Amino acid sequence: MTTATSPDALLEVDGLSVRYEPKRNPSLTAVSDVSFSIRPGEFVGLIGESGSGKTTLGTALLRLLDRPARISEGSVRLDGTDITALSEDELRPLRWRDVSTVFQSSMNALNPVIRVEAQFRDVIEEHSGLRGDAVTERVRELFDMVMIDHRFIRAFPHELSGGMKQRVNLALALALEPKVVLLDEPTTGLDVVVQHSILENIRRLQREKGFAVLFISHDIGTVLDLSDRILVMYAGRIVEENDAASLLRDPMHPYTKGLLGSYSDPRAETVRITYVPGRLPDLTKDVTGCPFVARCPERISLCESVTPAFAPLAGGDVACHVARVQRGGEVDGLAAADVGEPTRRFAGPEFVKTAAESTEALTRPALLSVDSVGKTYERRRGLKVERTVAVDDVSFELRRGEVTALVGQSGSGKTTLARLITGVDKPSTGRIVFHGPDGEQEVAGFRGRALRGYRKHVQMVFQDPYSSLNPAKRIGQALERPLVNHHGLSGRALRDRVRELLETVALTPTERFVDRYPHELSGGQRQRVVIARALAAEPEIVIADEPISSLDVSIRAEILELLGSLVREHDMGILYITHDLLSARMLSDEVLVLNDGRVVERGPTLDVIRSPRDEYTRRLLDAVPNPFG
Amino acid sequence: MRYFARKVAFFLATLWAVVTLNFLIPRLQPGDPAEIMVKRLAGKDSQLDPAQVQAMRAMLGTPDGSLWSQYTGYLGELAHGNFGLSYTYYPFPVTEVIGQAIWWTVVLVVVTQVLSFAVGTVLGAYAAWRRNTRFDSVVTLGSTFLGTLQPFWIALLLIYLLGYTLGWFPTSGGYEAATPGFNGPFIQEAVSHSFLPALALLVVTPIGWVLGMRNTMIMNLGEDYIRLARAKGLPDRRIALGYAARNALLPSVTGFALALGGVLGGAILVETAFDYPGLGRLMGEAVENKDYPLLQTLMLLTTAGVLLANLVADLMYGVLDPRARRAQS
Repeated sequence: MTTATSPDALLEVDGLSVRYEPKRNPSLTAVSDVSFSIRPGEFVGLIGESGSGKTTLGTALLRLLDRPARISEGSVRLDGTDITALSEDELRPLRWRDVSTVFQSSMNALNPVIRVEAQFRDVIEEHSGLRGDAVTERVRELFDMVMIDHRFIRAFPHELSGGMKQRVNLALALALEPKVVLLDEPTTGLDVVVQHSILENIRRLQREKGFAVLFISHDIGTVLDLSDRILVMYAGRIVEENDAASLLRDPMHPYTKGLLGSYSDPRAETVRITYVPGRLPDLTKDVTGCPFVARCPERISLCESVTPAFAPLAGGDVACHVARVQRGGEVDGLAAADVGEPTRRFAGPEFVKTAAESTEALTRPALLSVDSVGKTYERRRGLKVERTVAVDDVSFELRRGEVTALVGQSGSGKTTLARLITGVDKPSTGRIVFHGPDGEQEVAGFRGRALRGYRKHVQMVFQDPYSSLNPAKRIGQALERPLVNHHGLSGRALRDRVRELLETVALTPTERFVDRYPHELSGGQRQRVVIARALAAEPEIVIADEPISSLDVSIRAEILELLGSLVREHDMGILYITHDLLSARMLSDEVLVLNDGRVVERGPTLDVIRSPRDEYTRRLLDAVPNPFG
Repeated sequence: MRYFARKVAFFLATLWAVVTLNFLIPRLQPGDPAEIMVKRLAGKDSQLDPAQVQAMRAMLGTPDGSLWSQYTGYLGELAHGNFGLSYTYYPFPVTEVIGQAIWWTVVLVVVTQVLSFAVGTVLGAYAAWRRNTRFDSVVTLGSTFLGTLQPFWIALLLIYLLGYTLGWFPTSGGYEAATPGFNGPFIQEAVSHSFLPALALLVVTPIGWVLGMRNTMIMNLGEDYIRLARAKGLPDRRIALGYAARNALLPSVTGFALALGGVLGGAILVETAFDYPGLGRLMGEAVENKDYPLLQTLMLLTTAGVLLANLVADLMYGVLDPRARRAQS
């Protein structure tokens, strides 16, 4: 608790706990005994995976918790005033003037039926003496700060793009020059390049204006890029706190190491990323011992029984027995000999990709040839015909046992290419040839039964594992469907095949998963089920369309590893569609960078990453957070 | 602007289609109204006298000539506001019969609907704002209970209690002795006569608005922009009205305009129960007497009313929700 008593703190959180007490479900402690403080002008990052309680903590700091959640213990002092003790009426004048916020994926944070200007005006007039033209003038200043054209001041929210909305939200948060701004995943769901420029903007404004920031994110890469100090949250508790440089150099808690392990330098010959397997503990039950114990590769028997205290160690604070003893601290019943030397690496499952593997994969026989393919969409508007060129003169080959990545921003033609390859659309020019079991066949020539037969060979995995599984069906049922449809299996053969599929995607022991419902699984496990379902048809080609972008950064490697092993062991080809160059480096052997429907760069992935020739590729590379670069 | 132009054009096209259908349907139906009438006058088993049928046709003004010339003639007559003569109130023109009844209904319906909408929306919004409180439970449960009752049943109850037992209000008709027109005694009588029908309608009609508004607003209260408005430290009243209710109102507005158009149907039973001299009662009579011209005109009037209400709803939606304007233009 080094920070709880610091005299110059602007925001001081002391022993804060938040409990959810729903009437019908068991209650749980989402935030337990959290203490930290933020000094004026400080940029503090708060990281943790989905469900770790970081958003609940943020909401509690804003005093915006709705029933059944409530602050059950502790205090939040802002400039010395305990805001947990204030009534709503006493709190109102402090809101936005002292603490403002930008919400998570705040596509919906602006009132859709009111012009943007009015949404600045109401809050400015509520809390300051500005009126009339003075307010408009202030809004202009704010729009300049976030670099948005003044003509959008009079716009309605739906007339702004996603990135613009988020900039407007940022401008709105700064309208009254608050002391603290709480940013809750402010760029999640945006394009990497847009994301990058917004974060730069935030950091620049923060330096200029000197407000303090609490930046909440699941992505340790971006947090490290921006923050002065970092809080790591797990299962509702802060498990490690340190300044960003020390945390990167010497992470103490194994969970922090796990989070850091999801990043690696994409330029290296051999890239390895790790992931934290399993899921958060059930918070409705009492946690005995360390909450991270079930997922911890460094655990010792003491961790099962005694909850580690969160206490100062080596310049930071940490809640871990092993880390404490390793660094010369004292823990009852534990000697230095019981633990090894401190490591930086997370000793959990990892995914390794070497340059040699790729070189070998690129010599394999072709599975799909895309030959100068173009697609122009025509749309009738009255008498005029509008032509949109979605894909223009794209050529590449997908080989057996190889992964080709299509990289580009939204609107670059990636999805159109996927549609052409699956035979949903036909190319306007050029041809796509499938080198299947029946020899060379042109995809555009498939009709009826032949097309259905072809689709068995080409399967898709979509972005969002939360919406691509029917929530009312058990995992087993979800996997049985394609087996019945494509292979006519039934009875024992069907059950055996379902078990095999679950084993292929490493959901073992399988009997624990067959009768589960999707909501009982973690995001990574769900995406495994989606992949297993795609594999049921025994495809030759899998098109994976952003399969990891809706997952936490810390579990992305889990899915990449699975896809990688499928390619190696099942001799299939994967077309990996993404906007993220780091994951493309991890998974793919060859990469095509698309911009406006054209291939702007193409080559072995490592070559492209090491020496990008195109300006656009360089922008994409810059957007990858690289704490090690 | 394009949005509004499109909506008006769509309205005109649909109106034309309705008029044409109204013309075609009776002509495609089997049977000849003149024959039916003669049969009815002469008795079931008697022979039809072609001369009588001919005379009946002449009297009713049954058209002849090709379908096309009938159609153009029909459109011409419509344009001149000539809808034919009522059989029931022969020889009064349909327009005159309707003209007398329409104001009774329009005033009754518009007043009760506007009141219902206002009361219902305000109650619903307040219940949503104070959700899960006693007020909310009372309003929600009360509405659900009242919603199971039928207006005509309430009408009978009111007639018995307030009309016969207590004798506070007249139970039938539109007025007593006063001369219809804009004069004190008439207005007084009209108001006291329409009080019970209005009350019968007012018990039930707000319920849809209460529940609709409450549910949409509760959904809206979970939106990020409401949370942001709270974080902004805006006063509750402003959040409730300018943010939550303003957005929750959108579906209700469309519903309201539609309800105004389609309300004639609902008023029939209540008007009949109170023998109220409005369009609902008139429609009942027209059906009973097979008064084709009257019925056809009432149908046309009702459908035109629904269409017009639709147009108004679309236009209002365009004003209230900026997203609709762009999405469709």
